[in-house]
Parts: sequence; C-alpha cells; structure tokens
Amino acid sequence: MPLYELGVIIDPEVDPESETAALERLQAIITDAGGSLVEQNAWGRRQLAYPIRKKNFGVYHFWKFEVGGEIIDKLIFELRTNDAVMRSLVLNLDTELRRKRKMDAKQVARAAAKAAKRAAAAEAEEG
Amino acid sequence: MASNRPKRRFRRRVKVCRFTVEKINYIDYKDVELLREYTPTNGKILPRRVTGTRPAFQHKLTRAIKRARYMALLPYVGQ
Repeated sequence: MPLYELGVIIDPEVDPESETAALERLQAIITDAGGSLVEQNAWGRRQLAYPIRKKNFGVYHFWKFEVGGEIIDKLIFELRTNDAVMRSLVLNLDTELRRKRKMDAKQVARAAAKAAKRAAAAEAEEG
Repeated sequence: MASNRPKRRFRRRVKVCRFTVEKINYIDYKDVELLREYTPTNGKILPRRVTGTRPAFQHKLTRAIKRARYMALLPYVGQ
C-alpha cells in the first residue's frame, strides 16, 4: 500500500467537537479500508498567509498514512464535502520520494567510489 | 586598447546550490522556513539565475512553493 501525506486546514471557528468528529471520520475512512496511520502531526492554530473563507486563521493537521489507492477518492470526497475542512492536500509520498531515494543511492555510490579511489591511490603511493 | 584601461574588477559572488551542498533531496512544502528564503516579501519565486539553485532542485522548489501557497503557508502575493 502506498504511503500518502494529507494536509488539512480546519475552520478555526468551528466548535472543537465537530473538529474532532471530522478528523475521526477521516481516520475511520482510512482504518476501515485496512489502512494505517503512520504519523499524526498537529500544528494547531496558525495564521494563514491569505484569508480563506474570510478567515485569517486555520487549524493545521498533517498526517501520513498507508492505504489502498482506491480509498483516496473517497477520502477526497469526504474532505470536499465536510464543512469543517477549509482546505486539504493529499500527496502520494511514494512517488514523491522515489526520486529522493534514487538520488540518495547515487550519492552513496559516488561517495563509496570516491573512498575506493582514495584508498587505491594511497596504496599505490605506498607501493 | 582594452588592456590600457584600468581593469574593471568584478567580484562575482560564488553562488552555490544549497540543496546540492546540504544534500536535501526532497523539498517538503511544510518546511516554510526553507521556502521563505526563495520567496522575497513580494511572494515571487526567486529565479535560479539569482540563487544558483540547480535546475533539478529549482523544479522541486517551485512545486513545493506552489503547494505551500495552496495550503496558505506562503502568500500568492506579498506586500
């Protein structure tokens, strides 16, 4: 199952119960489909860079989770229809991080090659 | 002749790609502090001509900045 990243901005004027209810519904969608939450990160109330729905603040939540791809449509539908959610962004972290892994591997390989070369040069000098 | 004229000395500042140096291979849109360095107060994205960022990282940077803008972490237009 791919790893996804979700960011939501929740209406700051909505009462705390409906905020937790909205988050629980999202969580239920993920866990009911056999997915699992990997990381939950709550930034809390934060000033928005520009007003959304005439509001200057928003409550930020960032989650990482694993779930089958077919659930994402359902999740996005829920995010779009839920009135407490002001804005949301779902990213597929697997595709996002694919190039990072490639570059990391490349760097490791390059460092190893460099070390090997240096070792060889040192050996040649000795001999 | 050009050689007779006082030589105009350019002190070209060496621009380095921060992402190459620090080996930041994934630019996260949530890392607002990092993205701020590439957006002046007017909110525009600084060109790589100015910052010296490598093309591959500039692509990633613009994507991250645009995502951050959508999530209201960065402004579309600044002051």
